[in-house]
Amino acid sequence: MLRESYTAIVERSEELRGDFATEPYECGWAGEAIFFVRILEREGNLEGISLHVQISPDGIRWCDEGTSVALGEEEVAFCKVVHFGNWLRLSGRLPDGASIRAIIALSLKA
Amino acid sequence: MADQARAILNADPMLSRFDPLPRIIYHDDFNRGLRGWVELIGNFEDSLDSMLPQYADMRPPMLSSGTHWDTGTHGAMQGTYSMKLATRARAGDISVSIKRVTWRHRGPVRLEAYFTFKPEASELQLSVDDVRAVGVLFDLQDEAYRWMPHWRYLNALEGEPVRSWQFKREREPFHDIGGRAETVSHFHLAPTGWENVPDSGQILCYNEVATKFNWYYLRMDLDLASRQITHLQCNDRVHDVTDVGPMMIPAMPNLDCMLNVAFWVETDVDKRAFLYVDSVLLSGEW
Repeated sequence: MLRESYTAIVERSEELRGDFATEPYECGWAGEAIFFVRILEREGNLEGISLHVQISPDGIRWCDEGTSVALGEEEVAFCKVVHFGNWLRLSGRLPDGASIRAIIALSLKA
Repeated sequence: MADQARAILNADPMLSRFDPLPRIIYHDDFNRGLRGWVELIGNFEDSLDSMLPQYADMRPPMLSSGTHWDTGTHGAMQGTYSMKLATRARAGDISVSIKRVTWRHRGPVRLEAYFTFKPEASELQLSVDDVRAVGVLFDLQDEAYRWMPHWRYLNALEGEPVRSWQFKREREPFHDIGGRAETVSHFHLAPTGWENVPDSGQILCYNEVATKFNWYYLRMDLDLASRQITHLQCNDRVHDVTDVGPMMIPAMPNLDCMLNVAFWVETDVDKRAFLYVDSVLLSGEW
């Protein structure tokens, strides 16, 4: 049996600033996931900024899973996560004056 | 359908609840993946910013187990997974998923699906008027016309219950995309121009809590040869389609034999709306 896989574009080019989180994505069928963050535009100081993987029992309430992805100078950054239950999202907090536009891809595999 | 063919369908629990035409073009049971259903995106050139803004964020579909805070996993009508479309928590937001194929015979086709819809269970309230609409559309082209049958269930509008089936034949304006005169776009799901189908009212089984699913049957038949909508049905309700028509557009470049189907859901309040599709069957006669 081929392993099921699917990539969802959970964020596409909307401006992100301040506190934000990607929309809840249901993926309980998957056993592993990678969040890819491709930055299209950046403004302000992003030094030391990380986005954090969050998990949820119900798609409504969220807690940090412990994995994060650091936004460096590279165009694409990523983090890997396993054992995440039924929902995933990525949350972040950008300092005043900072913003990004990014394509955030969630690559899932059974 | 011949008795023997029907008997074969009846022997398969996944097919016996459908009434397909003789050829099955696709049968998507979402226990086996998303099977070619993908987020709709608008046309663009050179930059995503060239896209019509209504198309910028139509949200990716998910494989949902229908899991809730109060009762856990509801599952699908058959098996665990359905295809889930989710809007953002913003009134008027729409999520659209599409499957793109082409036709090999210009004759009758039939779309059948089992579906349900719910608002996000983020409040301990009935919430029956929180989902604005769910719908299905075809995007088709032959040598003369691009034609687009649209059919939606308008559940509520601006907080008021409606519970009516509607169609749309009014065209939306085309806009040039980019600077090379190669691409155009039109937002055909705009809220304007919808008309009630005859005997349009239908109360669906919402049940009493946002976390309880009851699945509905939907069927839409077309004749690709005459470019007509020939049958609209949800559960036991069959609509008179005599005066129901599609959007008609002169044939456009690069869309020959197009046979696309899309589902969508729209929220009426600042709360996510969800459409769940248990399974889809597209069949044809040739």
